[in-house]
Amino acid sequence: MDLVTKAKWDRAAKNFDVMAGRGPEQRWEPYKREFFSHIGSGRVLFLAIGTGLDIRFFPPGRKLVGIDISDKMLAMAHARLEAYDGEIEARAMDVHDMPFEDGEFDQVFTSCTFCSVPDPVNGLQALHRVLKPGGELRMFEHTGSHYYPFRWMMNLMTPLSRRVGPEMNRDTVANVQAAGFTMREVKHVFLDVVKTIHATA
Amino acid sequence: METRPYFILGDLLANAVVGGVIGGLAAAVFGPGWNMLLAMAVGMALGMALALPAAFGFVALFGAMEVMLPVMTTGMVAGMVVAMAAAERAIPLGAGALLGVETGIGVLIAVYLANALIKRRAPKWTS
Repeated sequence: MDLVTKAKWDRAAKNFDVMAGRGPEQRWEPYKREFFSHIGSGRVLFLAIGTGLDIRFFPPGRKLVGIDISDKMLAMAHARLEAYDGEIEARAMDVHDMPFEDGEFDQVFTSCTFCSVPDPVNGLQALHRVLKPGGELRMFEHTGSHYYPFRWMMNLMTPLSRRVGPEMNRDTVANVQAAGFTMREVKHVFLDVVKTIHATA
Repeated sequence: METRPYFILGDLLANAVVGGVIGGLAAAVFGPGWNMLLAMAVGMALGMALALPAAFGFVALFGAMEVMLPVMTTGMVAGMVVAMAAAERAIPLGAGALLGVETGIGVLIAVYLANALIKRRAPKWTS
């Protein structure tokens, strides 16, 4: 397990909901509700479940495996996991080191995750491995921008932001393709920065 | 396009406050003794640097990137505009702040338009 990344998110766990729980989550609510409505009835992996802020958007009655590198984040998620009208098996785990079988999952969901995975292409390749052939990868992510001055600002912010949390200038769409996925759809939520990505293994 | 009043008013508030504060500061720091190009560059850099911590205060209330990017742009543009104006002739603090507020609202409108244009573009990979 990547102990440096784990320690960073363990430290962030206590105040995570204060920063992310109201403004960002309420602003993204309609988009996230639509995004998570695609959770199917097969075997579903949710990467980086965090403090469980997204659980309220899950359709009821689904069965998911939710993983996170930080057990402190998972501890904060406990009440939300318990309250879900379905089944979520939560486990502390590094995406680079998942013990799942090849082709074990029908779908993988991520939400603001690949701004923080230290080796994103390697992490996406790990998701590709655990997905069935043709299985779906669905991501709600913020990325860098192709437009100035935003691109420039996000490049400037990243050296600071990566110390406490995410990187702001990732090219996640290119990383998904580099990991071997077939791109199906990219939808912009805000500028070309916040987006949903749909790809298949 | 954002249509919820809470977030539209939040965006207006964040950009107007940050623009006003940075405009006022720029009016206080820069004056007719400054070279205009230097004032522009320093005003931009200072405005953006000061806008970043200010943005975090609004992020928790109104959204992440939707707040951070316009507010940082407002800081940069307000710092630049007021610093250049102050380098030409002395500007009272209140007038600098007002120019900053106007700049912030202008930047926000520009970001809303850019957002609408980018979202309207056909996604490259839509199957």
